Amino acid sequence: MKKLLMVSLLIMLIISIAKAKIDLNTATLLELKTHLPITDKQANDIYDYRFYISFFQSVYQLREIESIDQKTLNLLKPLVSVSHYDEKDESAQRRDDIYYLIERLGSNEGLQEGMSDIWEDYLISPRNINKLAFSDILNLPNTSPIDVAAILNRVAVGDSISSYRDLRKSPGISYYGAKNLQNYVYYKEQPEVRDLYFDYQMKYNDSPYGDDEKEMYMESMIRFDPPDSDDPKTPGIKRQSYWGYFNMESHRATIMNKLRMRYRNEFKAGFIYETPRNSSPLFDANSDNIIKDGKFYAGYENNFKFLGNNYLKIYAGNYRATFGEGLVMENTDSYSPRKTGYGFNKRITGIIGDISRTQEYALRGIALDWKRNNMNAVVFLSSDKKDAVVYDSNENGELDEDDNILGYINMTHRFSNHDMEEAEEFFNEYPENFNQVEIAPRLDALQEDIIGGHIEYSPFIGTHLGFTGYEARYDREFLVPDEDELKHLLISDDDYAESKWKITDNEITTMYSTFSDEYGDRNFRRVVGFDWRTVLNNTSIQGEYAELQKGGELAKIGDDPRALLISSYTQFDNLYLISIYRDYDIDFDNPYHRSFSESERFDDTVFEKMAYGLNNTLLNDMYNNSAQPSAERGIYFETRYQFHKMWTITKAYLDLWERKSDARRGVRAQVKLEFKPIHQLRFRMRHKHQVKRYDDEMDRGKSQADETELKLVAYLSNFDKLQLGYVYARVLQPPYLSILSDPAEPGAPDMAQGQTLTNGDMIYLDYTHHFNKNLKVIGAFSMWYANGASFWDFEDIELDFDQSDRGYKTWFNIHSRIANNLYLSLKYKYKQFLTRELEYRDYNDIPDEGEYYFQRVEREENIVRLQLDWKF
Amino acid sequence: MKKIFLLLTIMALVTGLYSYSILEMETGNVIRNVDPHSAAMGSAIGVGGLRLLDSMTNPANLTNLKNGFGFQTTGSFLTDSDNRSLPMYNSFDAYSGDAVYVSNVNIFADFAGGMYYKRAISDFDLAASLQYRPQVSFIADYFEQVRNNRNSDDNEYPFKIAQNTIESTGGINAIAFQTAFKYKNIASIGLEVAQLTGDSEMEKSVIWTLEAQETINDTVLYNYVNTLKREFSAIQFKIGANVNISQRFDLGFSFTPKVELEVTGNTSQYFLEAPKIEPDSTDNINWVDVEDAVFVYTNFDSTGTPLDSLTYDQYILPMNARMGFSYKPRNIMSTIMNCNIEFVKWSDTNPLYDDAINYYIGVEHILKNKIPFRFGFNYTTTYGLFNDTGITFAREITTPTFSAGTGFTILDKFTFDISLEYSNRQYEALDLFGDSYYWDENHAYDDLWENSYWIHDGGGIQDRGWENPDTVNETFINLKSAISFTW
Repeated sequence: MKKLLMVSLLIMLIISIAKAKIDLNTATLLELKTHLPITDKQANDIYDYRFYISFFQSVYQLREIESIDQKTLNLLKPLVSVSHYDEKDESAQRRDDIYYLIERLGSNEGLQEGMSDIWEDYLISPRNINKLAFSDILNLPNTSPIDVAAILNRVAVGDSISSYRDLRKSPGISYYGAKNLQNYVYYKEQPEVRDLYFDYQMKYNDSPYGDDEKEMYMESMIRFDPPDSDDPKTPGIKRQSYWGYFNMESHRATIMNKLRMRYRNEFKAGFIYETPRNSSPLFDANSDNIIKDGKFYAGYENNFKFLGNNYLKIYAGNYRATFGEGLVMENTDSYSPRKTGYGFNKRITGIIGDISRTQEYALRGIALDWKRNNMNAVVFLSSDKKDAVVYDSNENGELDEDDNILGYINMTHRFSNHDMEEAEEFFNEYPENFNQVEIAPRLDALQEDIIGGHIEYSPFIGTHLGFTGYEARYDREFLVPDEDELKHLLISDDDYAESKWKITDNEITTMYSTFSDEYGDRNFRRVVGFDWRTVLNNTSIQGEYAELQKGGELAKIGDDPRALLISSYTQFDNLYLISIYRDYDIDFDNPYHRSFSESERFDDTVFEKMAYGLNNTLLNDMYNNSAQPSAERGIYFETRYQFHKMWTITKAYLDLWERKSDARRGVRAQVKLEFKPIHQLRFRMRHKHQVKRYDDEMDRGKSQADETELKLVAYLSNFDKLQLGYVYARVLQPPYLSILSDPAEPGAPDMAQGQTLTNGDMIYLDYTHHFNKNLKVIGAFSMWYANGASFWDFEDIELDFDQSDRGYKTWFNIHSRIANNLYLSLKYKYKQFLTRELEYRDYNDIPDEGEYYFQRVEREENIVRLQLDWKF
Repeated sequence: MKKIFLLLTIMALVTGLYSYSILEMETGNVIRNVDPHSAAMGSAIGVGGLRLLDSMTNPANLTNLKNGFGFQTTGSFLTDSDNRSLPMYNSFDAYSGDAVYVSNVNIFADFAGGMYYKRAISDFDLAASLQYRPQVSFIADYFEQVRNNRNSDDNEYPFKIAQNTIESTGGINAIAFQTAFKYKNIASIGLEVAQLTGDSEMEKSVIWTLEAQETINDTVLYNYVNTLKREFSAIQFKIGANVNISQRFDLGFSFTPKVELEVTGNTSQYFLEAPKIEPDSTDNINWVDVEDAVFVYTNFDSTGTPLDSLTYDQYILPMNARMGFSYKPRNIMSTIMNCNIEFVKWSDTNPLYDDAINYYIGVEHILKNKIPFRFGFNYTTTYGLFNDTGITFAREITTPTFSAGTGFTILDKFTFDISLEYSNRQYEALDLFGDSYYWDENHAYDDLWENSYWIHDGGGIQDRGWENPDTVNETFINLKSAISFTW
């Protein structure tokens, strides 16, 4: 009994002592000062540490405070306790845990056009894997149809996936499929996360215009008719070009402001506005512009019971609509070559809210997506004004609303119609200018009303058949003049029009008209198609077929311009294989077509190559920002294969294709190989080989490009990383006969040449240093000697294109996590390079007076990029 | 001993450089910060200033200093790289880029300093300071050679016929008295009264070379000199307040009314028979008082006749108002983020200008061993005045600046800060020295030009107008260092 009493007393004593201990994570400043044998300064320091640095995880953390020495710690140890305490709610904690994934998504945002936002939402608020539909899982990054079928096959038989380990056991699922999926879903219990989220993002970016765009703006719009070559061909004034006229040198930064709101995964809303470059002052925008050029949406998604399980999505405002392989509908301004739809080249099919930077092909209206059991139906309505190329079809000397449209255009810089008209007037009225503007882009020139839909039936897991179609009604006529008229409309100089117009320009002549002898006059464009998929063991086969209705019947296959894509995906544990066959008719001119292709529409046409001859240089944007694939037929293979624990072919592909416009054939192959002797050290080799050739030997023959890259990647401690690389490029080009006029003169610079060989190389180094988990600095340096070759350089979060004669650049990026929910990154880049000598080559006679001649010119660029993300 | 030696070395380094732009040689370059802590934080210290000279932006910042007596000295080294290029045309005569024809790299220095005393009385913190600092700088240098069109055969080179120079010196400095009060940890207010005094001297000249004079010794060549000398004085007031919203948030406001400075001085334009470059008593120079000398016409009627003008004695520093916040989150490294926006009523100074808003952001992380890492960004707007066929107009010129810096404490009481700011801006301007000056229609200057018939055939040498303007690219790198001491 005594023992029991003693034990009880002892327990009570321990409890009372424990109770008397001061909890470092909850004690007030007064308690710290009065209950602990420390000075006021030490108490303040402890309090400040907890308030401004971190809650205490252990008592030993006190030693991180400068004023607490070991002796004080020893003194305090028995007097204090540390309870588990964190200011972060579950959502913040979750964001913390998966921050590296969010960062990775953010770094690819530019390539994924708003998809990273959607994925980030699902990372923060995961969904129950046992209740997801096929497309819901497939729409997550890097999951394959086979992975999805493996999951759904289990769920369908009443099994439920209870953990990641359990998920891994699903027969047929790949290691990477499961691994990529694990953070986007939950299994049994929903993680406790908040319901309401706001994300604000601001981006300041003063990157200069790209080389092609700059060249377009700099070409002269005032041209004289030189009787002989010694006379000036232009007045030689800066204002002769759009660049000079609009003083585009001083065009400043763009500012993007984006705000998203989400209540669970049910209500979503968003807004984006990007202040254009020449806006003044910085954040100036009137409310009309904000509504007209800004983008916004509000959406609701949820399950509901009505005669069974239903899933409904409804979006109002701007939305993205994507179906099948993107043959009928995928509304984005961005073009991505070789977009397979697998791995990191995904499409999110169905309807999602759209606050990406897409402007021209944005849809604005209402969209409804309804899933029920094995059926899915989508209806979407859009009414929006589109920028378009207008030409003086009624020949009244003006570009007005009575004139016809040539086609959609996605302008690099959206000058107002008033500004463009003033510039055109200045160019037109310049004495002796023969280049009178007859064709020009106009903002909001076209009212486009779209009604479209998609219906899909899935008889069993992994298999579906879908039908997609839309009709776009216009308030103006699209009319492509006949070839002879067209080339003289696009190219002012008659001689040029005859001599520079090539067979490749078929892509322009075959653009869609709403009027033709074949089908008369109409005010719409209709595109219909069907898509399918089936998963057989470890192989998925899918495809889409689409037709643009012209003279044929809507429901009849094969009587209209068509496009077809069939692909298959086979996966093993350490290997996948993608095969894609595509065949797009040249007159399948669907502005919302975004399927797999090697190059964009209008490649090699006068829209690309003839800024100097086009009636309006701004038409270059038809190619520069073309989002439609080129008409081509070809077959593509891609694989990843880890054939040894140290050796992996990380990506290898081969594409064999023929361009429809001129029957040019091409081969492009690339192999990336990684050798990983130890985890921290990677050696990577990449080789690219590309050949484009004509069978007709009378034309330009072939061009060939090879590029080899060797890279060393060392992962250091604390997630630091060092990369060192070398790239060697070799380009064999045919002579450009089209600009060589007098091959008979020996030694003349315009003499016909044989193949030209250029080679260049680049060396680069970049280093990522983590001061701690909240502060990272990346610094990089690269130097190149391109000689006419060109290099793509992936810089941290964006791609850069280096193609000058020689140059170097250095940049750094500071990534700072200011607080749990506040992120700031500041990037600065300095680039110095010599322009290509080609621009100022020898046959550029020095005029007798008034002009200037420089053989080479050094240029520099200073670029600042600031990004602020606030998630609350 | 080592520490003292290090301290002395650092003090020796604390002599500064400011370098400035030719764009503002007449209107003056307004100095936004003098202190490396502020500079590294992107000048975003409308609230959250921790150094004495941070109170230049908001005098209420004084109350953030430690109690006692202290002083701070800062120095600034600034390089300004000014590249002027002219348009080029390719073989199709299409505009294809710009070629730099003159590049000036200047290095300037300046310094600032001050002392303060702060003590707590009951619930109040009281502080006062006296500072000396540059407020506006007119310093600018420009040098350009004019060479003839001789070719470079036989190891010959086009010889120099003249040199064009702009030398601008001086500035407006402030001796400022500040006082600030803080009540508990709730709010503080500050007031500054500053005596602004200074002068500026600008000389723009075209001086013919001896070789040019000898080449055409039967013709008199005249050197051109344009001068502007001014002295300035005024009293400037500034008020500021900081409000402690919570332990994490502070708000700050500051307001500076416009300051009309009293200006005396004169200006002149004259020609001296070469080789003379300085006037003497035999020269009849027309010195025009700044009150009567038109600086810029600001209003015209429909026929282009000037109506209103500003004279050189109308020198005004615009009203500005700044507000911002300082945020101290919980972070594994102690962190402060400051954001400011500033409204500048540029229309006070010149009706051709629009009012502008400037943006500032700065972050400080305290890394290991209490070493701070600071970085910032700001985006500011100024104006350039340009002329087109007699009509003056203003163009907005924006300057993005990023900055970084650090600091450390030595001998307990000394704090050393250092910062680097980098700015780049680009704008169009007319040639500073028109080319027609070096040509004479009556063939008097023919001998200066190797192939003068080319020039005659082309109608002579003419000034480049706005049809072919210069593109000016300026890069500023500003290194600032400071020592602060608290007793």
